[in-house]
Amino acid sequence: MSTVALPTGRARGVAGELRKLPAFVRRDFLVAWSYRMSFVSDLVSMTGQIIVFYFIGKMINPDVLPTYGGTNVTYLEFAAVGIAVGVFIQFGLDRVSAAMRGEQLMGTLESVLVTPTAPSTVQLGSVAFDLVYIPIRTAVFLTAVTIVFGLNLSAAGLIPALIVLIAFMPFVWGLGVATAALLLTFKRGGGLVGLGFVAVGLLSGVYFPLDLLPGWLAAIAEANPIAHAIEAMRDSLLGQASLSSVLPTVALLIPCSVASLALGLGVFRLAVRRERRRGTLGLY
Amino acid sequence: MVSVPDRTRNDHGCMSAVTAPAFARARDGAPEAGLRALPAIEADAISQKFGPKLVLDSVSLAVAPGAIQALLGPNGAGKTTLLRILSGLLVPTSGTVRILGRAEDNSREFRSLIGLVPSGDRTFYLRITGVENLAFFARLQGATKREAKRRAGEVLDEVGLADAAKTRVGFYSHGMQKRLSVARALLMNPPILLVDEATHDLDPEGAERVRDLVVAAARRGAAVVWATQRLDEIRGLADGVTLIAQGRQVFAGSVPELMTHAVPRRYLLRLRGSMETGALDGLATLERTGQGAEHFLLVLQDDAVLGAALAALGAAGVDVLTCTEERSGIEQAFLSLAGAR
Repeated sequence: MSTVALPTGRARGVAGELRKLPAFVRRDFLVAWSYRMSFVSDLVSMTGQIIVFYFIGKMINPDVLPTYGGTNVTYLEFAAVGIAVGVFIQFGLDRVSAAMRGEQLMGTLESVLVTPTAPSTVQLGSVAFDLVYIPIRTAVFLTAVTIVFGLNLSAAGLIPALIVLIAFMPFVWGLGVATAALLLTFKRGGGLVGLGFVAVGLLSGVYFPLDLLPGWLAAIAEANPIAHAIEAMRDSLLGQASLSSVLPTVALLIPCSVASLALGLGVFRLAVRRERRRGTLGLY
Repeated sequence: MVSVPDRTRNDHGCMSAVTAPAFARARDGAPEAGLRALPAIEADAISQKFGPKLVLDSVSLAVAPGAIQALLGPNGAGKTTLLRILSGLLVPTSGTVRILGRAEDNSREFRSLIGLVPSGDRTFYLRITGVENLAFFARLQGATKREAKRRAGEVLDEVGLADAAKTRVGFYSHGMQKRLSVARALLMNPPILLVDEATHDLDPEGAERVRDLVVAAARRGAAVVWATQRLDEIRGLADGVTLIAQGRQVFAGSVPELMTHAVPRRYLLRLRGSMETGALDGLATLERTGQGAEHFLLVLQDDAVLGAALAALGAAGVDVLTCTEERSGIEQAFLSLAGAR
C-alpha cells in the first residue's frame, strides 16, 4: 500500500494545507468557466447599476455630499466607490456563506471532508477563487466607470485603497464563514445574508452619507467597520489621501478582521463537529 | 386435483437455483490466514442514535489486511451509517473504531488511510471532466499537481474510463460515475477501502468490473468493507460476512458459516401427471407459478423434508421433471437471520 506521507509538525501541516488551495481555485475556475453566460450577465448588471446611478446623480446637488481632499465630488463618484466596496462585501458574504452550502447541495461535501483536508482549508479553498475574482471584478468596475463617465479617481490613491481593502477582506471573510456555519447547521439561512445586505446598504454609507441618518442610527453606523473601510476608500480614491492618513483606519480594521475571522472559523469548526455527531453533514 | 402434463420423469434431484456466478473465484493473491491476524479495521460495540432512534446497536467488526468483509443487511439496517462511522464522517454515540491500530480521531492522518466509495450518485462536480475531478481529489489527498494528474490518468485507465477522461462527469452514465467513484477511492491506494452499494443498479458487466477493481485492491493488501444488498455477489468475493438487521448484528462469520443458516423450504418444480388433492397433506403446499402448465411452487411445512414431499408426489403418479431451490442459500440464510422467512 502506498499512501502519501502527510507533513508532520504544525508549520509543515499548514504548508501542506495551503498547497491544496490552487486545486480549489482551478476547480472553481473550471466550474465558473463552464457557465460563461454568468460572467456576461454579471457585467451587464454592473453596467446597468452604474447607468442608473449616473441619472440619479444628475438630480443630486454635489454640495450635500461630503468633500474629499477639500474638493466636492459628484454623486456618481461618491456612489461608484461605495458600490464597488458594497458589491465586494455582498459578493464576499454571499459566496463565502454559499460555498459550503453549495457543496452540500451538490452532494460533494462529504467526499471532500473524507479526504485528509482540514475543514478550515475546505472553507478557505471553497472561496479562494472568489478571493481572486472579486478584487479583480472590483478593479475592473472602477476602471470602467472612470473611463466611461470620466470620473476623477486618483491613481495615487490606489495603493492606500488597496491596503485598506487587504486589511478589510478578512473581516468580510469572517462574517461569511460564520454565516456558512449557520447555513451548515440550520440548512436555510438566506434571510441572515439578506439582513447583512440591508445592514451594508443602510449602515455603511454605500449609497448616501451617514450624517443623513438620524443621530442614534448614525451612532450605530459609526461603530460599523464597513463604514470606516468605505470612507477610507473614498478618502484614498477621491481625496488623494496618503498612506499615512489611512493608517488609523487600517489599524482599526485589522483587529476587527482578526476577531471576525477567528470567530467565523471557530464557529465553523463547531458547526462541522456538531453535524458529524448528528450525522447530518451531507443533508440539506 | 392438481393436473400436470404426462411426460417421462427425468430428474428428482434438486440443485441450487442460483449457481455460483462468474465472479465467484478464489483470490489467488489474498494473504494467508496467518498473516491476517492483526485487523486493519476494528469496530467495537458501535452504537448510534439519531435522536431517540437507535440505528446501530453494539455492532462489532474486524477486517484483516487483504480481506473483504461483506456487510449485509436490508434497507435501513444501518450499513451506510456504519460505513460513515468507519470513515470518520460520523461520530458514533458509543463504541470505538481503530484503523491500523489507530483510534479514530478524524485527524488528517486518520483520513488519509481511507478510501470511500459512497452510495450516492452526486458526489462529483458534474460541470468538470472526470480527469479534473480526480486530479482535484488527488490534490486534497496530498498529491502534488504533477502526481495528481498522473494518478488521475492511471486510475481512469484502470477503471476503463480513459476514453471519457476529458468528458464532463455530468455526461457520464450511472455506471461510469460508479467506476469513477471507485477510481477516486483508489487514487492513493489506501490501506482501507469502504464500499457502499457500489454495484447497486449496475448492469452485470458494470458490476463485475467494479468487483474486480475492489478484489484487485484487496490483493494489494487493502482491507475492504463491502456493503451490499446483492446477496448473490458475496459468494466467492467476501472472506467474511457481517449481517445487520434493524441496527443489530445478527451474524458474523464466513460465507459457508452463513450458509448453515439456510433452511430451504421453497422449491420450484416442473411436474407432469395428475394427482388427487390432499396427496401432500401434512407435508407441503403446491401452487402454480403462472409460468406455464408444468411449473409449480412447493412450500414445505415446518417439520417436513423435501424427500418425503417428492416421494408423495411420485406415489400419487406425478413425474417430477426438475426441482430447484427458489432462493439461493445465501438469500435463505439472509432472510432467516434478518427475521423474514
